[in-house]
Amino acid sequence: MSDPLLEGVEAAAAEKPRQRYLLEDTGFDEVPKKYRKFYRKWRGGGDALAPNEVICPVCKVVIRSSRELRPGDRVYCMPCMSRLVVVRSEHGTLEAHVAY
Amino acid sequence: MSVRPAAPFDIHDLEPEAFLAEVHSFEFWFQAVEGYLTGLTWGHQPDAVEASFTEIERDRLITVLCNYCVGETAALEGASGLIAIAPTHLAKVFLSTQVADEGRHLEVLLHRLRDLGVAQPEAEVERRASRSILLFRQRLIELVASRDWEAAIFAQNVILEALEFAVFHSHAQTADPITREVLQGIIKDERRHIGFGENELGRRLATAPHIRARLGRVKSELDHLVLDALEETMQSIATPQDERHRLSRAYLESVERLGFAS
Repeated sequence: MSDPLLEGVEAAAAEKPRQRYLLEDTGFDEVPKKYRKFYRKWRGGGDALAPNEVICPVCKVVIRSSRELRPGDRVYCMPCMSRLVVVRSEHGTLEAHVAY
Repeated sequence: MSVRPAAPFDIHDLEPEAFLAEVHSFEFWFQAVEGYLTGLTWGHQPDAVEASFTEIERDRLITVLCNYCVGETAALEGASGLIAIAPTHLAKVFLSTQVADEGRHLEVLLHRLRDLGVAQPEAEVERRASRSILLFRQRLIELVASRDWEAAIFAQNVILEALEFAVFHSHAQTADPITREVLQGIIKDERRHIGFGENELGRRLATAPHIRARLGRVKSELDHLVLDALEETMQSIATPQDERHRLSRAYLESVERLGFAS
């Protein structure tokens, strides 16, 4: 069952313009150079995801976008060739689900 | 007239067909592996210094690497056989890159065995390989020979690759520096292989759900071989019990995402 309060917050957030991000190469070397800035390695326990990032559930790489991510967005994981959809988890965080 | 600046390119704006064409291409593969293999010799920095091992440590590492060689040989033989029955040209081209990856993996692992003092690595692999991984290899080759695309891709690119991805990742955390570097290079290749398998099967299951029952039978048949091989390897590299549970979970996650309960 969906939470009407959460839906209201989601709807309000959707109306706000998205924050933009200038991506820089993080040293991720598993894709061609032109795509490297869109990915980074997950650094473990002390790491945190920015609003423009989600973890790929298939290969555990962090996927980055040039804009703030919101539920329903499509993202691609090039290192493992997956197409994903961003969803809001039950904990309120953003996560990616594979879209076959 | 004012001109708005063009939005910067974002990979996630690609149409799905364009994305799939890009990541399955030989061109993509070539530029990807160039990033992490350039400058390496036999999968590691040429000036890397060998660690000192006790005889027991060296012997255990040799056994583990022999089992890895069987897994990589199975994937090499499986991927090359699958090219003939791949249903699309994108899948054929991707599998040709996987064949190159698997051949490299086998080569660097055999070379690592020589570094560790094994005079005849191929004979040593035959002598030490575990029964479960040998049976898995035999079954995979049978599935490929029967031209069962879905079952063979499931066995190879989902089950075998998920096992290797989890085990290599864990082993690399505690391995000596040269073995770690060799394994880390292999893991980078494995990301493509597991993703190809899961996405290829996920798309086929969505359009042909009747194949699910057949794949469920393949999973039931191969699960115990994979979990036995996992357990044997974890014992050889002295993996703590909680890490063994985590690895088993990691292996099962990918098959669960495809809708197969553990």
